[in-house]
Amino acid sequence: MTSTQSQRQNGASPEEAVVSLESVRRTYYLGEPVDALDGVSLSLPEGSFTAVMGPSGSGKSTLMNMIGCLDTPDEGTVTVNGQDVGALPDGKRARLRGAELGFIFQQFNLLPRLTAAENVTLPMVFQTVVDEGRRERAETLLTRVGLGDRLDHTPPELSGGQRQRVAIARALVNEPSVLLADEPTGNLDTETGSTIMDLFEELHEEGRTILMVTHERHIAEHADRIVHLVDGQIEEIEDLGGDSA
Amino acid sequence: MKLTESLRISWRAITGHKLRSTLTAVGVIIGIAAVIVFMVLGGAFEQNIVQDFEEDDGEPGMWVNTQQVGTGSFQFVTAPIYTETDVENLEAIDGVDFVGPEANLRASQFSIGDTRQTGGFGVQAVSPDQYNSEDLIEGKMFESADEALLTQSLVNMTDGQASVGDQIRVNFDDGAAEEFTVTGIVEGGFGTGPNAAVYLSLEHHYNTTIETPRGTEEKAYSSLIIGAEDASVVDDVKKRATEYFDTESDAAQLKQDDQDIQVQTIDDAVDQITSVIDQLTVFIGGIAGISLVVGSIGIANIMIVSVTERTREIGIMKAVGARKRDIIQLFLIESSILGAVGAFLGVVVGIGVGYLGVTLIGWPMAYPTDWVVIAVVVGLGVGILSGIYPAWRAAKVDPIEALRHE
Repeated sequence: MTSTQSQRQNGASPEEAVVSLESVRRTYYLGEPVDALDGVSLSLPEGSFTAVMGPSGSGKSTLMNMIGCLDTPDEGTVTVNGQDVGALPDGKRARLRGAELGFIFQQFNLLPRLTAAENVTLPMVFQTVVDEGRRERAETLLTRVGLGDRLDHTPPELSGGQRQRVAIARALVNEPSVLLADEPTGNLDTETGSTIMDLFEELHEEGRTILMVTHERHIAEHADRIVHLVDGQIEEIEDLGGDSA
Repeated sequence: MKLTESLRISWRAITGHKLRSTLTAVGVIIGIAAVIVFMVLGGAFEQNIVQDFEEDDGEPGMWVNTQQVGTGSFQFVTAPIYTETDVENLEAIDGVDFVGPEANLRASQFSIGDTRQTGGFGVQAVSPDQYNSEDLIEGKMFESADEALLTQSLVNMTDGQASVGDQIRVNFDDGAAEEFTVTGIVEGGFGTGPNAAVYLSLEHHYNTTIETPRGTEEKAYSSLIIGAEDASVVDDVKKRATEYFDTESDAAQLKQDDQDIQVQTIDDAVDQITSVIDQLTVFIGGIAGISLVVGSIGIANIMIVSVTERTREIGIMKAVGARKRDIIQLFLIESSILGAVGAFLGVVVGIGVGYLGVTLIGWPMAYPTDWVVIAVVVGLGVGILSGIYPAWRAAKVDPIEALRHE
């Protein structure tokens, strides 16, 4: 599948895309060269909710790391909010990551010694956001995800679902262009998982751009479309007829 | 990332591992405290000695003695090179009150009453003009060949038994044994002689002679005391005496080439002793400083462990936008806090232990202000230095790997 095809299918022009990948190749050398991503072109229009599915080793994580500015392509370009990620020096890439991307992990990945509010504040700390208003912003967001009464609890004092809500609040704190969720319900029971997915739906309705990696079909179906990755290539983009732009 | 933010987060990391952080800081505390304790003890010892000298400062005067050159200080040469002619010439110098030769008599044992003492004391033949009546604690100056003065230290050796009027028996090294009547007791040792001493009449007990450069035989002494008329002329007298020894003295010609004639006032002696104690203190402090190196290795070690342990946290911080320099800052501040807290507590412990030691020994307390400043700076430096490598390792952590890390 070529980039023009995928763009046509997305129904979005590159100018409206918050993130776009252009023929991205990433090769790992594990004894022999392995193409984790083999010429992938994809764009995430503003306000879209995209799920990525595929068997393990299909390149889901690498795709996530590319968009998340944690990795850079060997060939092709990744553009986040108009900036060519591969061309940025390390420090600027870190700043861009903190400002434009919000990560939500399967393992929650909160700092265990910081309170919920402090964890939420952390991305602002690294963006050198002025002190005033930070705490309030964290409180607002934690209240928004239903944890207004858990501000000063540390992660070990919270349940899995609550930790993931803290992580979501943290991902939102810098008003990022894209939310990146990596198996966000993978460590949660079905019931808790579905409340987290409800939260994702709400965020989508607010107009946020979301990319979610999952291997569970029913989780992926919350999205507008599902990108199927196989062997580092996009096999199919399945349109679920959502309200994507 | 702001410094205050790093401080808060680093402090949280330190207090998150209380036992570990405490033990790490203890390494630095011991190092700094050890250095400070030795500096306190050294300073106190020095002050104590200086005080002793200043209290002793009854008469303005100076010592003349011979020292070996090039072997460091306090290598006294006992060869008798100061002739009777030298004594007379010195006495003729303006401002000189008296010249008292000090002459050591070789003796190894004395007995007084039931007490018999071998070694640890000296017998000197001295000239009576070098004592004022106020030097005598009790009794009076010797007048004849079979009379002697004792110092208070020697009396203490006999557990205070010896007193004026007692008989003291001295066994000289040449085999002779003589009895003397104690006529008086004086405060301390004079000149460079031992504190515990028996003083005999120079006139009657000293007959070491030497061939002068002029070919005559004269009595000669191993050291002299020059008393000045008053404190204001001490420096002038010293200058003239030194001049005399440099030019026309017999002693200058009789001494060996590698020996030096020293004219020392009390201030000179204090300076010399102070400089030796200083060197010694710094030397011992340096040895104590080794424990500081060990302490800094402790910090580095714990920081490396902590980087490995917190790999995932580093990954998380990078995922939410931390740059390399932010991570370096966090780890450097953490190690600096350990170093600074260690240094601060080390100074407190060091001063405390030093104070205790000094009080027990009975020396005056000395606060080594400069060393406190040095210690804190070194502690902070140690913290930063030992944090550099771990911080660099932390900054190098690959966030993708780190987030996968369990």
